[in-house]
Amino acid sequence: MRMSNFNFLVKKGVSSVFRNTMMSFASFCVLLVSLFLVSLSTLVALDISVILSNIEEKNEIEVFVYGDVEETVLTHITDAININANTDNVFFYSKEEAWADQQASMPDVAELFDYLEENPMPHTFRVTVKDISLISQTADEFATIEGVEKVVAPYDFASALVDIRSTLTFIGVALLAVMILTSIIIIYNSIRSSVFARQKELNIMKVVGATNAFIKIPFFIEGMFIGIVAGAASWFITKITYEAVVGLFKENLEIWQIFGLVEVISFDSVTWIVLAANCILGALLGAIGTVISTAKYLKV
Amino acid sequence: MVELKNVDVHYNDGLKGGIDALNDVNIRINDGEFVFIVGNSGAGKSTLLKLLTREIQPTSGRVFVNDYNLSKLRNRKLPYFRRGLGMIFQDFRLIPNLTVYENVAFVLRATDQSKKYIRQRVPYVLNLVKLGEKAKCYPSQLSGGEQQRVAIARAFACDPKIIIADEPTGNIDPELSYEIVELLKDINECGTTIIMVTHDHQIVKHFGGRIINLKNGSVDYDNYIEGEYLL
Repeated sequence: MRMSNFNFLVKKGVSSVFRNTMMSFASFCVLLVSLFLVSLSTLVALDISVILSNIEEKNEIEVFVYGDVEETVLTHITDAININANTDNVFFYSKEEAWADQQASMPDVAELFDYLEENPMPHTFRVTVKDISLISQTADEFATIEGVEKVVAPYDFASALVDIRSTLTFIGVALLAVMILTSIIIIYNSIRSSVFARQKELNIMKVVGATNAFIKIPFFIEGMFIGIVAGAASWFITKITYEAVVGLFKENLEIWQIFGLVEVISFDSVTWIVLAANCILGALLGAIGTVISTAKYLKV
Repeated sequence: MVELKNVDVHYNDGLKGGIDALNDVNIRINDGEFVFIVGNSGAGKSTLLKLLTREIQPTSGRVFVNDYNLSKLRNRKLPYFRRGLGMIFQDFRLIPNLTVYENVAFVLRATDQSKKYIRQRVPYVLNLVKLGEKAKCYPSQLSGGEQQRVAIARAFACDPKIIIADEPTGNIDPELSYEIVELLKDINECGTTIIMVTHDHQIVKHFGGRIINLKNGSVDYDNYIEGEYLL
């Protein structure tokens, strides 16, 4: 297609946005709401993921070692823990440190400790894991290491966290799919009305020998234009809403810190990504809706 | 050249077992002819035009237009086939929000002509139909006769081999009807084949030439035999 004719079609597409004001406005509103909900729920899902990661990092396996073990055994245990694929960080808490901490924490009964001939505290390894869903398996592996007396891990809590994460992921994906599908259906209907109103024009185009691509381009441009504008507008509304909600959390940060909410994603750090994603998704939804809705009227 | 060989068109309407719109129709129209197609309502005139523009396919038989075998024409080639036809309708079918100039330029753009060609061709065809002065008007600002002349200019703009006119005088005053057919005759003299469907017997009588009368889906009368027009 010649550039001059392509330019004509682009102009025609953009001008029909303003010519069919009501239809364009309806499509714009639908896309605006959908994109706003999609981007806000994506940000919230990412925040929840960050919070869960913070909580997960605090989950550690405690590996207790038998009372009197040789230095070589301790080295062997350290190596065995470090070599495990699921080990993230290892912190060694010696029996001497534990005993000193114990005494320091109970100053009122310090004289009672004098009656003990030996240090009763064990050497302990505190291990954080990479994948919390494998915590039980990892703890079992640590229990088989020679010199290890006991292994303690928050199995139930870890399993609850894994369940929460997978449920939230499922809800997030389902929500996203429903919103995208709803947007396409509504866009399809509003553009279909606009196409229907111009059925005569389409018929003339077909009769004079216009190709389907020639006929579709203005509608395609119209859908994409509305989608991009709705994407930019939804970015702005998402920014205002998200920053207001995060502001509310930050006012009561101490309370939320109990639930592991130390830090959430700052909108400024993702602003360009959100803007680009909304515009691209808006353009895609507008274009897909247009392509589907024009197809029916091109069979002349 | 247009040729229909043993063409049948049967419409299925479900309950009654369908309607035979055309029965064993054989027509040959040579290049450069001016043909009137007449017949009562339901005689098969519209079906015949739909066959020629490949809006429908025959139930049996073969249709050839401009060297295209329409039974074998693939959908993606359809636009290129239609560029060889000019269509004129009873209701003009102009795009209301485009000016006279843009309505004509529109078909040239649709057929991917260059900007330079469009700038030369549109004023030429508008002058041919004596509407050069009204290039900037919208269809609603024109009379019925003027709108039909725009439609003729649009049909002729792509320089088609065949112009198919479906009741072009049906919506305009009788005195202007003759003017419209005169215009089509002028175009015909340039070598373009004209196929005109009409109800207007006065016009057919006045202009004469080849007349094909359809009755109950069959050719009842064709005055063209072996290169001669019979009266």
